[in-house]
Amino acid sequence: MIVEIGLIALSIAFLFSLYAALASAYGGWHGQAAWVESARNASLLVFPLLTISVLVVVYALYKMDFSLAYVYDVSSQAMSPFLRVTALWGGQQGSVLFWAWLMAGFIAVVLIRKWERDLELMPYMIATAMLTTTFFVGVVVFITNPFVRLWHFEGAFELTQALFQPAGAMPFTPADGNGLNPLLRHFGMIGHPPTTYIGFTGFVIPFSFAIAALITGKSRGDEWIRTTRRWTLVAWIFLSIGLILGGRWAYDVLGWGGFWGWDPVENAMLMPWLTGTAFLHSAMMTEKRGMLKKWNMILIVLTYSLSLFGTFITRTGVISSVHAFSKSALGPAFFGFIGLTFLGSVTLLYLRWDTLKSEHSLESFLSRESAFVLQNMLFLAITFVVFWGTIFPLISELVTGTKITVGPPYFQRATGPLFFALVLLMGIAPLFAWRKQALGAFGKAIWIPVAGSLIISTVWGYMHRMHPASIFGLWLVSFALAAILAEFWKGVQARRSTRGENPLSARINLIGRNHRRYGGYIIHLGVVLIALGFIGDSYYKQETQGTVSSGESLSIGRYQMRFDQLRFYPGSDGREVTEAVMTLYENGERIRPLNPRRDYFIVQEQPVSIPGVYSTPGKDVYVLLIGWDASGESASFKIYVNSFINWVWIGGLMMILGTIIAAWRDPGQLETSYVIRPELQTSFPLIREG
Amino acid sequence: MSEQQKAQKVEGEGQATSGRRRGGLVLSFAVILALLGLLAWGLIKVQAGPLDDGLAPDFTITGFDSRTVNLSQLRGQVMIINFWASWCPPCREEAAYLEETWRKYQGQEVVFIGVDWVDTEKEALAYIKEFDITYINGPDIGTRIAQAYNIQGVPETFFVARNGELRGVQIGPLKAPQLDEKIDELLGEAYP
Repeated sequence: MIVEIGLIALSIAFLFSLYAALASAYGGWHGQAAWVESARNASLLVFPLLTISVLVVVYALYKMDFSLAYVYDVSSQAMSPFLRVTALWGGQQGSVLFWAWLMAGFIAVVLIRKWERDLELMPYMIATAMLTTTFFVGVVVFITNPFVRLWHFEGAFELTQALFQPAGAMPFTPADGNGLNPLLRHFGMIGHPPTTYIGFTGFVIPFSFAIAALITGKSRGDEWIRTTRRWTLVAWIFLSIGLILGGRWAYDVLGWGGFWGWDPVENAMLMPWLTGTAFLHSAMMTEKRGMLKKWNMILIVLTYSLSLFGTFITRTGVISSVHAFSKSALGPAFFGFIGLTFLGSVTLLYLRWDTLKSEHSLESFLSRESAFVLQNMLFLAITFVVFWGTIFPLISELVTGTKITVGPPYFQRATGPLFFALVLLMGIAPLFAWRKQALGAFGKAIWIPVAGSLIISTVWGYMHRMHPASIFGLWLVSFALAAILAEFWKGVQARRSTRGENPLSARINLIGRNHRRYGGYIIHLGVVLIALGFIGDSYYKQETQGTVSSGESLSIGRYQMRFDQLRFYPGSDGREVTEAVMTLYENGERIRPLNPRRDYFIVQEQPVSIPGVYSTPGKDVYVLLIGWDASGESASFKIYVNSFINWVWIGGLMMILGTIIAAWRDPGQLETSYVIRPELQTSFPLIREG
Repeated sequence: MSEQQKAQKVEGEGQATSGRRRGGLVLSFAVILALLGLLAWGLIKVQAGPLDDGLAPDFTITGFDSRTVNLSQLRGQVMIINFWASWCPPCREEAAYLEETWRKYQGQEVVFIGVDWVDTEKEALAYIKEFDITYINGPDIGTRIAQAYNIQGVPETFFVARNGELRGVQIGPLKAPQLDEKIDELLGEAYP
């Protein structure tokens, strides 16, 4: 019964979304307010309806209703209730529903909060956003329906999946389910899909506003950018968190000792992040100077298109990858939708190109403006390099008949210099003034960070004489760090001298009075720390591998690991654990025990390696148990020493903190930039205040 | 410059801009359509899925140990063709089971062929050594074998009956006793 309620709610949600998309477009086109209002109401109802569907799936997972094919696939009795509930996004059917639900949620919040402010844009914003929602809900209803049940025909070996009882079939409820893939049972993989989905779906808001601005010709102004700034920030930070959690998951679970492998699926997520980051910056230019309007439009269309493209290649397996895929009818449907979005957006851009003229032109190459243009170009260049590498196997197979996969070396070599340039720009750009920067003042501002970073990197590089590029990398990172910190210091000094504040309150007030600027700097600090992690991963990684008997040691750099014994015991969630007891020494001095494990999940017949990690701010010692002999007397290990890796996670946390600060409303700014100008209120005949 | 000339100049510039714009549009459409075409082609291939019936496409493979086998010359034996790569974690899951099954059926008119897909020799040899793999394993040079079988990724395992016909494919790692069952079934088939 409960399942039927979920299915009915889902079907109504589909009809309502379709209605909302059509009614708002009609109302907008013919200037009929009643249709638009009706579309808004329908849109607002989609979210609660989908909430019911989601709750029903969660309930079925919790209650282990194995008569549902989805529940049978992703949950099992051995899984804890918490894991069972998170299985909502553990498989295709659940994730697409979850995705549609998040999207409907975003739209509902926008329609409640922004209705009065952006009346002119609303009809087409609703039409665009609800068309997208209709597509996703439609996919859930017709292609990946989570309410499909299992049926059994007498004498048949395999079960049949269908929504309704086929003639001659009996309902079938298996005793236990297959259970979630053990590799996915990790906090990173529990948090990664929802954050990624929030990021991807969140971009539908700025995209829909942008499309509405193009249709109405309001793209001349920057209302749509002001309206969507926070939405973009929210989408962007969730995408960032998703990337970092995915990296953390790979590091903890996949057991190759790294966190970023340039896999097509990772690239699929990185590309919209890159263009989204560029968009956040160029939007600032439009707000401040009325420039880069074309860039903004292109970037938001690209960001949204790339997130669709990413979803497409992830979900259909068009580009082979280490990730596992399942075959479904999702591919053709998605393909049609992507084609429509790409071509529609480009046509609109073409028709409205004239409205996107800059209000100012570049006055000097040494200015904040030109720095913004340069960073946009760098981000786009990196996106292109990643895009090319990602689709290259497909192109090479089409052209030469041979599938050539470009590996991490291509991506590292091609994007490395571009990322270096970006970090450099991140250090320099905040020193540039708007319009024109005097060279002398710039020299004065920059010499301290340059000198400081040169000293730091020389000493640092001397201590770790390794790859020359690594010393350059260290210089860049310390320069950017010093330049950003110098900005904070200058701000604090200014407050102290003009207002006589003490250093601490000056620091708090500095950030408090200018959230966007200093929040942005804190995000930059986070990015610099992540860059440090990548430099450590590229140049300072050490690894070794070996088989040792009980009592023997393996050594790597300053570390020695003594293998003491193997332990076998049953673990939670239906697994058998094989654990090595080891002792870690640094230069002969005992540090702590390490316990790398291999967990074998009985039902899924799948082993998962859990590394033993000794983590310090400077480096991680990461030990994997890769095999053992039957007697348990000897075992094989793979050991990595990963330098600076923890700064990736710390940098990620700083990015989150910075984003929260940047999204916070500045005191005194309250609403002012969001109030509709009087002439706009009257020029809009659509909706009369009742 | 007279007013008229100015007007003409402006008009001329306007035409030039709109010409450029149209060019830009045509170019962007061409790029997008090319990309969509590429994706469509990829999608059609994926949707077709790996071969799972009909005669198994013939191929010759030279192993890392320089042994050479040719599929059509092995007719009369049950064949297990396994596509793998050293960089593929799921392949590691099934490697030990594959080797164990091979040792069990060796000499019973069963052949195992390992096809190493998009890999580097050094890592591939380390992988073979790590799992002590004794059946023939060779690189898929130019990914020709993979394309003939239209594989979607690794690991994938094709089952070939004694008469040379495909009898199904396993996408993803094999799990005990799946392979034993399949081999027993294929060995049980009547063959003249």
